[in-house]
This record gives sequence, structure tokens and C-alpha cells, in this order.
Amino acid sequence: MVSSRTFMGLLALAISPLLPAEELGEMWGTAAEEAKYYPVVNIPIPPEVPMRPGSFEILPDGRLAVGTRRGDIYFIEGAFENPPIPKYHLFASGQDEIFGLSWKDGAMTVTQFGEVTRISDLDGDEVADRYETLSNNWGYAEGHEFAFGSKHDPEGNIWVALGLSGSYKSNNLFRGWAVKVTPEGKMIPVCSGLRSPGGVGPNAEGAMLCIESQGPWNGSCSLKHLKPGGFLGHPASYNWYPFVPGMEAPSVEPNSPSRLQVEKKRVKELVPPVVRFPYIKMGRSISGFRLNQTGGKFGPFENQIFLGDYTLSVILRATTEQINGVWQGACYPFREGLATGIMNVEFSPEGQLIAGGFTTNRQWPVRGPEPFAIQRIDWNGVMPFEIREINIRKDGFVIHFTKPVDEVVASRTETYDVTTYTHNYAAGYGSPEVDHTTPRVSSVVPARDGLSVRIFLEGIVEGHIHDFTLVGMKAEDGTLLLHDKAYYTVNEIPKE
Amino acid sequence: MNFVSPIIFGIGLLLSAPFAGVAQPIISGLASSELDSNLKGLILLEEMNCVACHSSDAPFAIRSKKAPRLSEIGSRLNPAYIESFIRDPHGTKPGTTMPDLLHALDAAKRDEAAKAITHFLLSLKPNQFSLQPPDHVAAKEGERLFHSRGCVACHSPRDEAGEEMLRETSAPLGALAGKYSVRSLIEFLRNPHAVRPSGRMPDMRLQGRDAERIAHYLLKDTRVPGPLAYTLYRGQVWEGLDSDTVAAERAGQVRNFALESLGKIQHQTAITYEGWVNLPRPGSYTFFLEMNGGSLALNGKEIVREQPSNRRGPKELKGTAELQAGRRKIELTYFHTGREPRFSLEMEGPEFERQAIPPAMLSVSEEPIAAFEPVQVDADLAARGQIHFTKLGCANCHDDLQLESVPGPAFSSLASGRGCLSGENGPWPDLGLDVEQRNWISEVLPQVEALRLDDRQQIARTMVTFNCIGCHDRTGVGGIAPERDRYFTGTKPELGNQGRLPPTLSHVGAKLKPEWITEVLLRGGRQRDYLEANMPQYGEKNVGHLVELLGRVDTLEEVILPKVSNIRESKDAGYEMIGADGFSCIACHDYNGQKAGGAGALDLVNVTDRLRKNWFHLYMRDPQRFHATVIMPSYWPGGQSIRPNLLEGDPAQQIEALWNYLEDGPRAKKPKGLSRQSNELRVSDVAEICRGRGTAGFRGIGVGYPERLNLAFDSEEMALRLLWKGAFANVNHGSFQARGGDRVSFPPGIPFHRLESMDDSWPYKGKTDFTFPQDQGYQFLGYELDELRRPTFRYRYGEVSVEDFFEDVPEENGWAWFRRTFQFETPRAQEMFYFRASSGTKITRTPDGSFVIDQLELRIGSSHEGLVREGDPAEVLIPLTLPEGRSQLILEYRW
Repeated sequence: MVSSRTFMGLLALAISPLLPAEELGEMWGTAAEEAKYYPVVNIPIPPEVPMRPGSFEILPDGRLAVGTRRGDIYFIEGAFENPPIPKYHLFASGQDEIFGLSWKDGAMTVTQFGEVTRISDLDGDEVADRYETLSNNWGYAEGHEFAFGSKHDPEGNIWVALGLSGSYKSNNLFRGWAVKVTPEGKMIPVCSGLRSPGGVGPNAEGAMLCIESQGPWNGSCSLKHLKPGGFLGHPASYNWYPFVPGMEAPSVEPNSPSRLQVEKKRVKELVPPVVRFPYIKMGRSISGFRLNQTGGKFGPFENQIFLGDYTLSVILRATTEQINGVWQGACYPFREGLATGIMNVEFSPEGQLIAGGFTTNRQWPVRGPEPFAIQRIDWNGVMPFEIREINIRKDGFVIHFTKPVDEVVASRTETYDVTTYTHNYAAGYGSPEVDHTTPRVSSVVPARDGLSVRIFLEGIVEGHIHDFTLVGMKAEDGTLLLHDKAYYTVNEIPKE
Repeated sequence: MNFVSPIIFGIGLLLSAPFAGVAQPIISGLASSELDSNLKGLILLEEMNCVACHSSDAPFAIRSKKAPRLSEIGSRLNPAYIESFIRDPHGTKPGTTMPDLLHALDAAKRDEAAKAITHFLLSLKPNQFSLQPPDHVAAKEGERLFHSRGCVACHSPRDEAGEEMLRETSAPLGALAGKYSVRSLIEFLRNPHAVRPSGRMPDMRLQGRDAERIAHYLLKDTRVPGPLAYTLYRGQVWEGLDSDTVAAERAGQVRNFALESLGKIQHQTAITYEGWVNLPRPGSYTFFLEMNGGSLALNGKEIVREQPSNRRGPKELKGTAELQAGRRKIELTYFHTGREPRFSLEMEGPEFERQAIPPAMLSVSEEPIAAFEPVQVDADLAARGQIHFTKLGCANCHDDLQLESVPGPAFSSLASGRGCLSGENGPWPDLGLDVEQRNWISEVLPQVEALRLDDRQQIARTMVTFNCIGCHDRTGVGGIAPERDRYFTGTKPELGNQGRLPPTLSHVGAKLKPEWITEVLLRGGRQRDYLEANMPQYGEKNVGHLVELLGRVDTLEEVILPKVSNIRESKDAGYEMIGADGFSCIACHDYNGQKAGGAGALDLVNVTDRLRKNWFHLYMRDPQRFHATVIMPSYWPGGQSIRPNLLEGDPAQQIEALWNYLEDGPRAKKPKGLSRQSNELRVSDVAEICRGRGTAGFRGIGVGYPERLNLAFDSEEMALRLLWKGAFANVNHGSFQARGGDRVSFPPGIPFHRLESMDDSWPYKGKTDFTFPQDQGYQFLGYELDELRRPTFRYRYGEVSVEDFFEDVPEENGWAWFRRTFQFETPRAQEMFYFRASSGTKITRTPDGSFVIDQLELRIGSSHEGLVREGDPAEVLIPLTLPEGRSQLILEYRW
């Protein structure tokens, strides 16, 4: 637990002495219960290894690869065993901070702050000797100009999300843009409007997403869709359109303060966030994420997105669906109580979720106490009772569960407490939750198999987060929900 | 003759107490050990510098201690002290070796002579002496340093009140606050041999602010008048001064309560002020404050208190106190925090309009402190003083002024019980010797001129004279006295006593190479950086002879060194043994500056430069033989190796292999399992690379080469930015900073360009040249490493593919140099363009076509011709006309 003193020191020294001091936020209080299904296993790090993990990859031979802030790449054998008996091998070193690793065709493609690099071992001694720069053609000349990279997409491209200069401005080429780098080293700008993005990756349907941090023009952290030609909300990066052949700058800038659902009608390129994560309740600085395609080895959440949070040391879960051509979806609590600030996650071939990261002593407070860690979340095969997924309908939602529900409880409308709210869309930093409504749950119909419930709602609000609390919801076998919260971001209401 | 008797050494310590209260000269080496009385007599003769009056050709004559140099004394010492010390040396500084030369005079003449001599000494040069108020924050740290750096091996440790606790056995310091100023003491501590050439007071090699802090500690009782005392704190001050994040930074005196008087104040500072305000009349006084938070007390009664907060701006506060006229104590604490911090204090009272308190009304003390007044030198008095100085024989010892001395009876004519040795008052100096000391001298007197010390005796004499034995044990003699033991501390508690006590000197001549003894003894070389005590420096002419003597005297049995038939195999076995899969020496020992995970024992990398090989073999076989309590285990218990599979388990071969491996020093192959935690990136047998922001822009690539040359390459502009020598770089996340020295920097800009006109500027990336240098046809393509992990940078300039390789070429004598080879490949012949090699303020061409550009010497190794383009700075350009296919440009960089 980071003391309020450290946090105040941070505010005073790094940001501004005027922000109110605050705690990192309430814990969910579910860690002990979560451990019954998803125990956390620590992967030991030997004392001689300077390990500040920033990215993970699985090698074809099943080893775990880790890219670090110091610019090293370690290959770790035995990380997935029980208990882990890891052996660390230094494959490459001397790079800038690494926040993207992807292995393809016998080489590791690395996203570091300054470039995308293909690193390979030519002489077969397991130590890299060729560092091939695929592209370094974005501006990199100021602090906070982070670069986070995806895995290879099906065409072999690496997508890179470029943070703003000092996280507020765009002083250097393509800061605030997402670009993709082709296997031949061509850099293709994709979309503008990012602020301080974290991880980049696809959803199950292959749409490329990236995580965005709360801040100016961003009321909360969110998953954003890197839609080609899109504008993702922060107008500081408008200035680079003249450098993109064939792409026109939006004809207007968003007004401030306003609402996303208002501005998206004015700025036709504006792509609303796919999933918004209510601040503190669902993370404070979400970092890396990964799609679960482990074929059920990680439990009932196949094809869902798992995200790490840096400040709160938690793992979150998200689902997406496309409505009226626009991506939207929901987020759910998953696992809290990790050891450090989570920077990235990865699934092992055994279906375990690797989560790792670090804390910094000055820059940002973190709940997890360890200065750095690599951990593993294993599913022990016991089925938790969870909200598996929420999907929207034109007049309500379908809530899917991991186990059949108790028909009596599930049939009561009082079980479903739904409120809605949204955020300011404004140039100021972050946003409170605003425009609260309480739609009426008019009726609920559990499915015959008990695995889902159709709820009918009077007053779905476009542009709002729909905040679900399933009070007292029980499974057929009597167990209570492990987490009774879920948050659905309604960008569009289905027409049918 | 055995000078040093270990048996009675312990008793000597017990007997040292009866010295109490007597003002006889104290020689710390004599006080802290028990020696043969002959040697004591000899040393005392030398320390009292008897030969200054009683001339002798005997060897001890030239070894005798010289008196302090006096030519700068007026800037160094308080004149009041000089006078007092001359008048009564034994009373002013009990334990001093300075004789009392005035004792035979009556009180009035004595006073007159002391004053005259003082004026004479002050007349030698213009004097800069003045007093500075002590900084009690520095003094607090100084207290720790005084007790841990080794000062208390000779001088007395002090209790909390500053009282000397072991005065009778310690080299005296006297009352320093009346003697030195902070400034002059710092200067003395930084270079004591300038004043005291005989090196009894060693140069403690105090680093950073250590000398300053110790001076503030020793002079913490100095009183200087002034308006106001302050202490300045830094940290998260809004949590209060007792927060563990808040630390006092400095203290001193200041003119008034205006913040500007303190210099630039940083955010998150707190200041406490203390002083007395002199009120003209009694009545009700109101104090108006503007500040974020703090408190104000008058006469010990708090009248304002406001909790500081880092989240708001300053407040206007006020408090009233009923006060009597006269000096009233004022105590104020101010927190410089929150939004737009400011501070003001105003006072309003009877017939005193609201205003800031003027400095004239403030004082740091209730009772006035007399200001230091420099003495105005009286020329007549000084002239008389000079006569006293020579007539009294002062010049005999203080010979730096080159005044006439007054010879006494020749040494050979001296007899015990007479003159100085009579114990009586008479027309001779009062040396202050006690009966025992006189007896030592008397005993040795008849034989001392004929005395010839053998090597062992010479070592013993030197080690006592310079009190080496105050810290070091040598074959059971010396070592730290039990009552001083607790002051010897270390930063690595895991190392036990070895991590805090200066090492034993038993067998030291058989253990260390003379080069390393020289380094430690005379050049401040240091290996055990975990010891808090420093190794003092006594000066080459004073202790230099020890190097040879120790090598001659200390012998151990000769090991039969094994024959190594395959040196490569031996080194490889050494590499195996030292790493994590072998004996894992690096688990406890640092290696090449990389910290071990655990104990942090001695760095192994230069072991073979320091140790004699014979001793290495003996020690490795049985470490306990040399240190009874050593932590180092034996890897060959009972002569059996714990790694029998290496070199057939032969212990001698294995130890030899470790030696052979370590002999490669920092260039040996890096041991397996070596920690990479350190921020310093060290180069061993292969090159090291680091990338990121720092020394060469944001896309910098630093390369450290095995020949201890380094470069920084900017992959943004594909240009060489910096060359340097020695230590490579510090890395921190994605950034690096060059270490080392001998830097040669290169101007910003791309390497190749077609100049339209010789008047055009050479292009470089400006802040808004967003697409530069790609718009000039450049693209960086990365690098490949050779077998020594040296990079070949690859990039494109238009149609030309460039491979750019730096090779560190060793030179037989001296530093290596870089050979840089550009390999060009182009699908068609290229019209002429320039390579800009460098620029500088001073460029000269040598007859062989080389260029000297400031400190860089650049030779063209291929058949190209360079030219100098004048300008500010001037540039060296090399025109290139590339043929189709492959071609080369070769350059040599020496600096």
C-alpha cells in the first residue's frame, strides 16, 4: 500500500501542489474469494537481473520472453511450471525502453521508444547480433513520448501508439497518432487523437484497439478503436495531417466542454471509446492488455480482453461488440492484489495469465508493494460464478453468466440495479461522472438454461456508461456472484 | 634488540591512564602502545626535534619532525591564540611538543615578548583571518565524520558535549574555536602538509564536503555576532519539521527575516529563525505575518501558529504579545510550501510603526558577542618580535622563515640530567617532559648517535612515529585500541570486522606488490571502499621508505607454482570457477565495479595488480591462516578441490587458473551470473551498447569498446556525436550518460551532403524540421555486431547504402585509437558530395595530410583528400565521388 505521504510528495513535486490529496481508491475486497479460482503465483527474479518488465511474448519453444525498461530482452525457461523454476537467459540488451515484443519468422520485433526493431541471432549462439531498424520515422525528442507496440497483425504489421509530448502537446511528428510499420519498414499513419496510450492489440474479431489514459479530452481510461482515418478524441495531434498523403484533417475541432455523443455528430471522424473504465472503480492507469484465446484453459472467458492496471495493481476484463458499425462493450472486475504496478500481460501456452511490471519511486503511486515483479494467474479449474458478458439489445441487455442462475433471484427486477452516466468531453484533465439517470428495469427473463438473463430497460442512454449492480444474484448452486459489477459503454443502440 | 614487545602491549594500555592531568608532550603512537624504552627515547628525540638546537650527523637527525611553517600564520590562526600559545604553550595546548621558550622571563617580559613575536608573525604577510559562524547542520554531520573517518585513531573522540574523552592518550588539539576560523581550518584540513611538512598530521583525503563539515564540528563553539540565526530544512515540509522526509540542509546567520537574504529558496523548504529583538519600550507588540504556515513565539510564548498545507496559498496572520523593553527572544518557523509561497513579518508597537524589524534591532544572542577585530600590526613591536624570535631560538625549529638560528651545545656533548633534561627551570627551553620521558631520552642518549636501526626496527619506528599502529595490527602489535574500536565502522555489516577495521599489516610485504603498497601509501589508492575510515597520506619523504623495507622484511614460504601447459585452458577453467556455475566468487565479491548481490567483498578485477602470486596461492589454500575470523571459505579443504572435474581437481592448477583468468583484469570474459543491477555499464572483453536519450540526443547509441574507447552515435542523424576514453556509461531505463574523460564532441548534423555553395550551412535537424533527415534521403537501418559485439551501423543516403564500422585499435604504449571504415554501395556512380568529418575552432593540416581539430587528430587512411572549410567553426570536409558498386573511406581518430 502506498502511503498518502508518498502520493502527496508525488503531487507536490511532479504535478502540482494544488490537487487534492486522495487515496488510491477503495479495493474491491474480493481478493480472497478470487484466489479460490484464480491463484496468483510469483515467478522469482534472481538478484543479479535488473528486471523492470514492460512487455511479454511467448517463444515458439514455449519460453517466456520479457522486454524491459532498461532495454534488455530475457528468455525465461520454466516460468510456467508448478512451482516456477525460472532460468533467465539474456538474449538482447542495450535498447531503449521496450514496450512491445512480437516473435515472428525467427526474429523478435521490438517496439522501443525510438523505433521498431527486428532483432535476430545470426550465428546461433542464442544472443542477438543483428538489430534491424524497421522504422524510426516518428518524432522522438521530448519526455513522455512513449511508444507502445502490438504483436504482428495478420499482414505482419506492428501497430504503434505514440504518446503526446510531455503527455499534453504534440510537438514532434505523429505524437498522438497510431501508426503501423510494415515488414518492409514502411510507416503508415493510421489515426490521430491519442493522448497517453498504453498497450495495443486486437479484439477477437481483429479490430485493433489501444488503451488510453484519463486526462485532457479523456474523462476516464478507455479502450479505443484504432480506426484508419479516425480521430480518437484529443485534438493536439491535428497538426500532422499535412504529413499524411491522402488523409484530410477533420474540418472542425471538438468543442470544450461538451459530450462525446454531441461532438461525434459534429466531428465525423471522431471514434468514441469502445469501452470506458469508470475511474478508480475500474482502474486508474490501465496499461497492457491481451486477448484470451487459450481454448478454455483460462476458464469461461474465451475471446475476452484482459487488462492490467498500473496504479491499482489489478487485472480487469473487457468484452466488445460492433453495433451499427461502431465498436462498444463492457468491462468487469477480475483479479486484485497483484504485487506491483502492472505494465503488461500475456497468456502462456498453458493458459496462464502472465502479469508483470514495476513501480517507480517518484513518478506515480502504485498499490502493489514490490518494486518489480512477474506473476502468473492460474485458473485452477473451479468455475467461478461471474457475469461472463453483457450484450446490448435495442430495448435492454442480455447478461450472460458462467453458471446457471437461481431462477427465483434472477427473475426479480430488483436484482438488477442499473444507473447511467457519462463524462465531460473537454480539454480539462479527466472528468467526474455526469448526467446521471436511472432507467427502469421493466422486466427480466432468465433463459431456459439459466446461463443468461434478458433484461428490458426503459431509457437506455446513448453515450452513457450503464453501471450494473446485481444485488444478491445467486447461482443455482447457491453461490453469490464473485463480482456483482459490470459497466457497459453504449455508443450505439441497435436499431433492431 | 626487539623494540616491540607484544606481551606488555596490553599492559601498556592499562597503564596509560596515569598520564592524566599532566601537560607533557603527547606522541599518539607512543601513548597508544608499549615499546622498548630505547625506541621511545629515540622517537621522542625525533618528535621534539632536539637536533634543531643540538646538531648531529646521526641518521635520526634528518628524520626529526619539523615545526609548522609560519609564513601564512596570520591568515590561518586567531592572533589572540598565537599570542597565548607563545606565552604559555603547555597551558594553551596541553600535550603540545612546542617548548616554552619564555618560561625563564618574568610575567611582564613574557607578555611583552609574546605580543612582540605575535606582531612579528602577523607582519610577515597581509592577513586574511576572520571568523565565520559555524553551521550546526554541517557540524552534526561533521561529528559523525570526525568519529568515523579515522581522526579519532590519533585524536580524542568527543562526547555529546564536545568534551574529549581520551585526552591523555591522544594527539592534542587544544581549544580550536579560539584558534582557527571555519575557513582556515577547512584549508588546513585539505592540505595539512603545506603547514606541517613532516606529515604527523596526515592528509586524510577528505572528499566532497567532509573537510568543511568536520571544520564546522570542531569549531561549533565559535561565537560570532550577527542579527539572526537560521536553520533551513528541505523535504515534505508541510508534514512538519519532525517528518522523516524533512532534513536540515544548512544553518548560519542572516541579516533579517527577508527571504532574499537566504539566497534562492526552493519550493518545499522550511526555515526556523532564532534571535533576540531589542525593544526600545515596553508595551503591546503586534506581529503581522504573511505565510503558508509556521509559528511565532516571543519570550518563549507562542503567539501565532498555522498548520502548513501544500494545497493552498499563504495566509495573513497576526499575534500580539505584551513585552518588556530590552532584548526579547524571538523564534519563528516558516514553511515555504503551497501555492505562490511568500513570507513577510512586520512588527508594530509603542512608538514603532508597522514595519519589518530592522537588522539593527536584532541579535543572535541575549548578551552581546564581541566582534573579531584584526590586530593592527605595530611595526616597532614587530621589529622587536623578530629579535625575540631569533634570539629565543624559535627559528631553530621554525626554519621556513630562514632566520638566524641559535645553536645549542652539540648533540654529542649532551648528558642526561642537564639542561632540558634536568627537569628544572633554567635558560633552556621548557619541553614539558615528564620524568618518564626524560628517562627514556636519558637512557638512549649515550648510544643514540651510533644507533643503526635494522630493517625491522626502522619499520617499527616509522609505524609508531606516524601511529600506523593506531589502526593497523602487525604481527600482534598495534591495532585499534579497545576504547577506540567502536568508532571504526563500515557500510557492509555482512563483512563482519573485516568490513569495518583497517586491514592487518602482518606479512603485508609478502602479500602486496610494491606498486600497490606505493599506491595506497603515497597516492591515495584505495580498495576497501566499505571502510568508513580513510587511509591517511603522510607524504612520500616521510613514509616512502616503508615500501622497500616491507618487501625486504616480510617473507613467507615459496609455493611451487604449477606448470601450465595450456594457458587458454587454464583461463577458461578460471572463468568457470569464478562464475555462478563454479565457486561463485562473484556471489560475495564485487567484480569490475558490478556490485555482488550479497556481501560486497573486495572487487576481484584488479586482484593480480595488487597481490603477489605466491601469497595468492597460500591464501586461497587456507584463508584462515591469515585471518582467524575470515568469512571466505576454503575451496580446497584438506587439499581436495570441491570441483574435482576441473583441471583434474588439482588445487595448485585451479588456483593458478583463477590467477591466470584474473590477470586479464577488466578485459577478462565477464563471469557467469554477474549482476547487471548497477547503473554503471562496464565493458569487459566485448563491446557494450546502450541506447536512448542522453549523450547523443534521444535516439543515441552508446558503444563502449574493449580497448577502453567509447563513442556515441546519433541514429536520428546517423552521425558520430562524441568520443571519450575510460569508463563507459551510466544507464537508467532508456537513457545513458557518458562517463570517462578525454571527450571529443562533433557538431550536430548529417554526415554526407551535397553543398550547393561553399557558403551554405551544413544541415542539421532543427526543432521544426519534422521530417529531417529522411527528407535528405537518409534512413537508419540498424546495426550488426561482430564477434567482439562491435556494431556496424547501417543506413542509407539516397541511393547509397552505407556501412559504418569503428574498430578500436590497440597501441603498444598508450591509448588505443579508432579506425572508422565506411563501406559504400551504390547502383550507379555518384556525383561528388562531402563527408563532414568534424568541426572545430582550431584546425591545422599536417604535412602528411592529417588534420588536427582541437584535441582530435584525424588521418585519412584511404586515398581521399580532405579540405578545411573556413568558418566559425571551421570544418574538415572530405569530397567523395563514388563509383558504381562498392567503395571505401577509411579514417583514423586519435585523441
